[in-house]
Amino acid sequence: MNIGKIALAALAFFAMPAASSWAADAANGKKHFDNDGCWQCHGYGGQGALLTGPQISRTKLTFDQFLHQLRHPASAMAPYEEAIMPDATASDIYAYLEAMPEPPQAKDLPLLYVTKSK
Amino acid sequence: MSGTGNVDRRGFLKGAAVAGSATIAAETTARAQTAPAAPKAAAPTAAQMAAETQPPGEEEKLTTEKTGSDFMVDVCKTLGIEYMAACPGSTFRGLQESFINYGKNSKPEWLTCLHEEVSVGMGHGYAKVAGKPMAAMVHGTVGTQHSAMALYNAWCDRVPIIVFTASAGPIEDRRPGIEWYHTVQDGAATVRDFTKWDDYPWSLQGFAESTVRAYQLATSQPQAPVLITADGKLQEMALTKAANAKLSIPKLNHPTQVAADPNALRDAAKLLVAAENPVILVDRYARTQKGVNDLVRLAELLQAPVVENRGRMNFPTTHYLSQWERSGPLLAQADCILALEPSDLFGQLTRVRDQIERTFASKARPGAKVIAISTHDLMVRANYQDFQRYSAADVSITADGEASMPYLIEAVQREIGDRKSAFEARGQKLLAAYKGLADRARAEAAVAWDLGPISSARMYAELYNQVKDLDWALLSDGGFSSNWPHRLWPIEKSYQFMGGSGGGGVGYQPVAALGGALAHRDAGGRTAISITGDGEFNMAPHTLWTAAHHKIPYLTIIQNNRAYHQEVMHIQHMANRHNRGVENAVIGTTMRDPNISYARIAEGYGAVGIGPITDPKDLGPAIKRGLDAMKSGQPVLIDAVMQPR
Ligand code: HEC
Repeated sequence: MNIGKIALAALAFFAMPAASSWAADAANGKKHFDNDGCWQCHGYGGQGALLTGPQISRTKLTFDQFLHQLRHPASAMAPYEEAIMPDATASDIYAYLEAMPEPPQAKDLPLLYVTKSK
Repeated sequence: MSGTGNVDRRGFLKGAAVAGSATIAAETTARAQTAPAAPKAAAPTAAQMAAETQPPGEEEKLTTEKTGSDFMVDVCKTLGIEYMAACPGSTFRGLQESFINYGKNSKPEWLTCLHEEVSVGMGHGYAKVAGKPMAAMVHGTVGTQHSAMALYNAWCDRVPIIVFTASAGPIEDRRPGIEWYHTVQDGAATVRDFTKWDDYPWSLQGFAESTVRAYQLATSQPQAPVLITADGKLQEMALTKAANAKLSIPKLNHPTQVAADPNALRDAAKLLVAAENPVILVDRYARTQKGVNDLVRLAELLQAPVVENRGRMNFPTTHYLSQWERSGPLLAQADCILALEPSDLFGQLTRVRDQIERTFASKARPGAKVIAISTHDLMVRANYQDFQRYSAADVSITADGEASMPYLIEAVQREIGDRKSAFEARGQKLLAAYKGLADRARAEAAVAWDLGPISSARMYAELYNQVKDLDWALLSDGGFSSNWPHRLWPIEKSYQFMGGSGGGGVGYQPVAALGGALAHRDAGGRTAISITGDGEFNMAPHTLWTAAHHKIPYLTIIQNNRAYHQEVMHIQHMANRHNRGVENAVIGTTMRDPNISYARIAEGYGAVGIGPITDPKDLGPAIKRGLDAMKSGQPVLIDAVMQPR
């Protein structure tokens, strides 16, 4: 079941063209993240939006948990079943989310400190 | 009215043919009833007409010094109405002329709108900021139908607007054709389900009493729009001095608003004081700064967290008891919940799962006592379902929340006894939790900081940086942009936020913004800002022309996600539910190919248009440019290409 983890393990083990394989998987993941509408509810950066979907960039979920979320979302998220999102595609999206760059730190953004104090 | 309009009955048309098939048909009928058919002849000249229709030596008087519509203006003037917004319509031609000439176009001043949804809907925003209603006039039948959406939003949002419509008079006075299309037996029927009261007065005295009564009802809690039909014949009838002298305009009654029963308040206070974890839920409660201050007083007395549902500006976001972002855990722990003017008590206390089988779960801890203070039940109709699902409270008080608050505070003070130190300990915990909220909001705002399209968090941060030293006010709510204003901005003054649409009718935002901006202008020139979705804006872009024409400055930032984004998500959900994939969800929900140029639209209407802005780094300077342009009294639009939420 855990194709994502197997893929990651394989990549780590063979290390060979690791960067490009990673890129290939994540790039395909990005394509699906964009085309399969994840960004509509979670934002282009997976940053989340208070009323439509939580932050998913650099997700802390395991791949199993991630896949379970796609197949059985709790409420407002559209369910993505195998028929429209094979496990392999899900694993690419997972790779893309994991590979997202670290976001800027709030403390480095002075504009966020002219807003609400305390 | 028999002086004018009876020319044909006096017979000059017996032998005349007049161009236009509708008139020919009508006149043929009239003729058939009065005289045998006669051969056709050329149309009479004015001189022939006069000769045929006037007894020799007596000229028909075609003018009059004073009309019923002048008296109607007198009535409106006694109510202190500042503005009458309208898109012109012949059913109220008499009234319009009286307002702009006899009434000197002042108090009320006539505002030109380009759609009746704007004439009426701008009163929605105006009343929430000004604290008093303005008026609108809408054409008989067609104008009322255009105005229906704006009335429904105002009704759901409990906001007063004084609306006039008109009808041509009795059948023997109507011009054929158009005056029939624009006349209705019951002018309010189209909108009666969502107006508080209406009338079609039969006399000028009736007009005076009904208009004053309508104003009183509209402004009493719960507030709502009202509609008066001004009969065309009453408007245009000559008003003699003697007839005018017999008319009187009643004094406006200012009744006190319904405050809570003291016994019920005592029960409520006992529950609140005894509770370990009380929570205050607040929705459409405060109308004034005093209402806000009173709620701060109650929350501090109890050291109870306030969960703001943002129906109005109820509680300062900078106060440590402002804890709406923690509503989930707070409600789950609460043993007593005080709901102030909830628009939907059931919805605020229930979580609904939107899958094929909808399931419902309580957000509140089982057994939590619920106290509700609300005017909700005082204005319920059968047809439209804005009353929401039935929900029982343990102490249910039908009264105005703001008017009752001072008495609730007194009742709590009487019960507090030795609970003070326990309350203080609770307050310390809440203070610590509040500090965490700001850090969390900043961390989340940072995530998509540099991305394009611009994130909503970045937009609000850039905007606040530009307005922080100004006397600013938001004309929009943040529901479609992740509530960033409530997470990031210090919203402390009652006028800085005015809630949302009420009924969810798209088009509210540009329209209410125009009225709200007018009230802010009149309050001394506050910097008014509307974050307007592209879908919202497209319902009434011409609001910018009215603003440019009447010198109403405000900044519109188009939150341009090139979609009816809420609907995109709904269609995605349906597509996946049916296992068909989301690919086609953009059909019928997006506005791309071609992209719409909002800045050019703004310029076409005489406003300042800036954008499209796609790079977040360009947004700050664009906002600065916009604010500078506003100083000359102009409306400004910035097209910001943004993330969906
Ligand atoms: C219609 C809106 C919508 C779409 C489309 C959507 N999501 Fe979600 N997502 C949500 C919501 C709402 C939640 C939280 C509640 C729930 O599970 O329904 C969520 C939760 C999640 C979570 C769990 C986050 C956590 O840490 O708990 C993940 C992971 C996730 N979504 C990934 C995705 C991916 C990947 C896609 C695209 C393939 C996607 N979502 C598409 C709305 C959406």
